[in-house]
Amino acid sequence: MNVTINEEGSKALVTLEGRLDTTNADQFQKDITPLMTGSHQEIDVDCTGMEYTSSQGLRMFLMLQKTVSARGAKLVLKNMKPQVKEVFDITGFSHIITIV
Amino acid sequence: MNKRFDPIIDKCGEIIDFLMASPDMPKDEDLQFKIRLSVEEAVENVVRYAYEGGMGWMEVGTELDPEGVMLTIVLRDAGVPFNPLEKADPDITASLEERQIGGLGIFLCKQLMDHIEYKYEDGCNVLTMKKIVA
Repeated sequence: MNVTINEEGSKALVTLEGRLDTTNADQFQKDITPLMTGSHQEIDVDCTGMEYTSSQGLRMFLMLQKTVSARGAKLVLKNMKPQVKEVFDITGFSHIITIV
Repeated sequence: MNKRFDPIIDKCGEIIDFLMASPDMPKDEDLQFKIRLSVEEAVENVVRYAYEGGMGWMEVGTELDPEGVMLTIVLRDAGVPFNPLEKADPDITASLEERQIGGLGIFLCKQLMDHIEYKYEDGCNVLTMKKIVA
């Protein structure tokens, strides 16, 4: 999973590419740490290139959402592939994370 | 198609790839996605928790019935007896504040496969997952 973070003022534009699974979830957690510890008010994540996520990946998204909400900021996941979106739907994550 | 991995420590990726490369797997991408996710969650569960330090074995296999309709995946290990199906499902209606991090793996298997069962047999945990693939 490749994570690219571009900052524009208080906004972070994030691009995810590849598969998020048990083999790279730890690295993904490190990669998104700047988004958890930062002070961005808006985090836009482009998921066009995200092909897969396991429960390990879901945990990371939940942690990120909890952290971001705690500081009153906004997280939005965009352009998710239908198969990946289904995983978010089945687990109820679509109700607690904004997906457009 | 069967294979025994011993020891299983750090073999998660290898075991998943072995199962997904089975000729019994469907070609349909959507089905493959769902099966892979279930396989990953189930295999990871064993690799992480069955043996202390991951120093133990695991046998995995696939089978397709002669009609090509029902795919069966079996995972067997001699680790700590543990029925993952007894674990309570996560509350998927919980609010963000109340939502617990974790407990999603086996829940996903249950949702994505058509049938899943566990038995403890001859000193082994045996998890069987079935999916209609035609």
